[in-house]
Amino acid sequence: MLDFDGLRKSFGDNHVLDGVGFTVAPGSMFGFVGSNGAGKTTTMRIAMGLVRADAGEVRWHGRPLDPEARRRVGYMPEERGLYPKMKVGEQITYFARLHGLGAAEAARASEEWVERLGLGERRGDQVEKLSLGNQQRVQLAAALVSRPEVLILDEPFSGLDPIGVDSLAEALLDQCRRGVPVVFSSHQLELVERLCDSVGILARGRMVATGTVEELRRREAGRLLRVVVPDAPPHWADRLPGVRVVSEQAGDTLLELADGTDDQAVLAAALRTGRVTHFAWQQPTLVELFREAVAAPKAVEVAA
Amino acid sequence: MSEPRTLGSAALVRLVAAREISARIRDKNFIISSVVILVLLIGTLGLQVALGSGGGQTRIGVVGDAATLRPVLEAQGKALDVAVDVQALDDEAAARAAITDGDVDGVLIADGGQQPELLVEQTASGSLQAVVQGAVAQLSVAEQLAAVGIASLDVPELTVTAIDPGADQDGQRVVVAIIGIGVLYGLLILFGQFVAQGVVEEKSSRVVELLLATMRPWQLLAGKIVGLGLLGLAQIVVIAAVGVTGALAFDLVDIPGDLIGTAVSVVAWFVLGYAFYASIFAVAASLVSRQEDLGTVVMPTTLVLVVAFVIGIQASADPGGALAVITSYVPGLSPLVMPVRQAAGDVALWEMALAVVLMLVAIGLIVRLGGRVYAGALLRTSGKTKLREALKAERV
Repeated sequence: MLDFDGLRKSFGDNHVLDGVGFTVAPGSMFGFVGSNGAGKTTTMRIAMGLVRADAGEVRWHGRPLDPEARRRVGYMPEERGLYPKMKVGEQITYFARLHGLGAAEAARASEEWVERLGLGERRGDQVEKLSLGNQQRVQLAAALVSRPEVLILDEPFSGLDPIGVDSLAEALLDQCRRGVPVVFSSHQLELVERLCDSVGILARGRMVATGTVEELRRREAGRLLRVVVPDAPPHWADRLPGVRVVSEQAGDTLLELADGTDDQAVLAAALRTGRVTHFAWQQPTLVELFREAVAAPKAVEVAA
Repeated sequence: MSEPRTLGSAALVRLVAAREISARIRDKNFIISSVVILVLLIGTLGLQVALGSGGGQTRIGVVGDAATLRPVLEAQGKALDVAVDVQALDDEAAARAAITDGDVDGVLIADGGQQPELLVEQTASGSLQAVVQGAVAQLSVAEQLAAVGIASLDVPELTVTAIDPGADQDGQRVVVAIIGIGVLYGLLILFGQFVAQGVVEEKSSRVVELLLATMRPWQLLAGKIVGLGLLGLAQIVVIAAVGVTGALAFDLVDIPGDLIGTAVSVVAWFVLGYAFYASIFAVAASLVSRQEDLGTVVMPTTLVLVVAFVIGIQASADPGGALAVITSYVPGLSPLVMPVRQAAGDVALWEMALAVVLMLVAIGLIVRLGGRVYAGALLRTSGKTKLREALKAERV
């Protein structure tokens, strides 16, 4: 288990992290979302030992992540960084060696990743001569080349074209299948929704929600049921017990069910009006969950 | 596949150093500067050799009794401090041809009773005329004395007593020392710049964040300084070896022992000077994030180096002066002053030891304090960091 436990950090008066904690199981992918400045990067930098936490710690297999353990972590910083004048192959080899691979093995692993990420022909080129997308691949190779036990990636998808996104997603899923816990941050919420086993939403230095997307939905969704009954007369659902009509438009009805209300009774009532073309619990998208979760507390009160 | 090993500090420093060397060895600036230094060195040696042979020599052709004239001409040349090369020629026609071809500077025609004649292309240089005139006069005097029956004259022998037999050699020692600190100064500036550029490159490309996820700041700093230092050491050793070998092979100096001694002390002072300046350059560079800002932060240190160099040159003129003596103990200045005093030969062992110890103490302080600044400033990749901020910043 990769545990982020009670991380606190302030820079002067600015409380950037205020007790951030979550857990990532081996072989699962954790999506880390939050608005700009919410503290995602600081959290990851604490894990990598680049920022010292005021309180709390990050543990891997129950032991605090120390410099030696960090050598087994693949990391991609938010601000990409590579030696601009170093050749692609040599650069990846160098990072492999810094992570503890022997010379021959590092060269072999570098070769393998260069091929795997489609950089074969650019192996001997200086990094600065590559397109941004290709530089990003080199960056990924630098993170993956040492067969890390843990992956921590800050905005790995930013700046990639759709094909690049797909191949990076594939590479990350591959790592998960190897049993590696993957933590990445992103603003591309559809992507997070599609890839991640669990999601953490960070707002103002706190985790406002963590869990599987499914869990978040169930927790955040309320009990909204959408029923489309084209032949039903207006106000068909008004008298149903435990049901409040949120909106109704030409048979497209949105209902809020009180706790304990049987949705099958609602279905039966709908069927009595004629055809039912749609009957489903309303699934809020991650985007909606995110908006809900990160909305300033004041705004939430107003909405409520 | 074997499992990745854990890396000790030594292994990390070695990895960083190896990368620095391999990156720098292929760097155009480094290659050009190395070639330029070697070409300059070989050129200087060649020039010395050329000046030492052809230029100072007076070549005199002789038509007539060369066997008699040669020793007299050479003796005259020696008296007048002119190197003389005597060539026997067959007749006047051969003499004219030799002058036109530039084989000789002039030809003395002395075959038989008539007046001796000096044949030249345009005019006879002063030394040429003086040598020939003296030789002819001496021979003539000897002949006339012989004619009146006096075989030899009893002339008192002049005794020469030198009051400073080593003066010339001292001069040579000092010249060697000046060349030595010139090379030292150039290499300290060059490799200091390399270190500074390397630090800023890592900051401006943000690769430093990735590096610090695998090592401590001091390991990165040490690897960088050690790697470039080995390269600089190799370069100064090559320069010293080529210079000393060349000077000895072409017989340019009369003091082979002192030459080698000075070369060794310059190399040793390079190690100390480099450790001192490279650390300062690295720490200064860590305060900025762009190559454009580098000039301003390394300027004060560069100025100190320039001042040290000027004092070193001055010390060669007055190695026992108060300025030279005092500055030869001051850390940072000592690497460029002490070798000159050592070459001039009036440094006691304890003085040298004191200078070295003070330098080592200074290096220790800089590494400790500088290491804190470096660690504090390294991850501030925007704009310029103030020294005080860097010292106060948390270190990871």
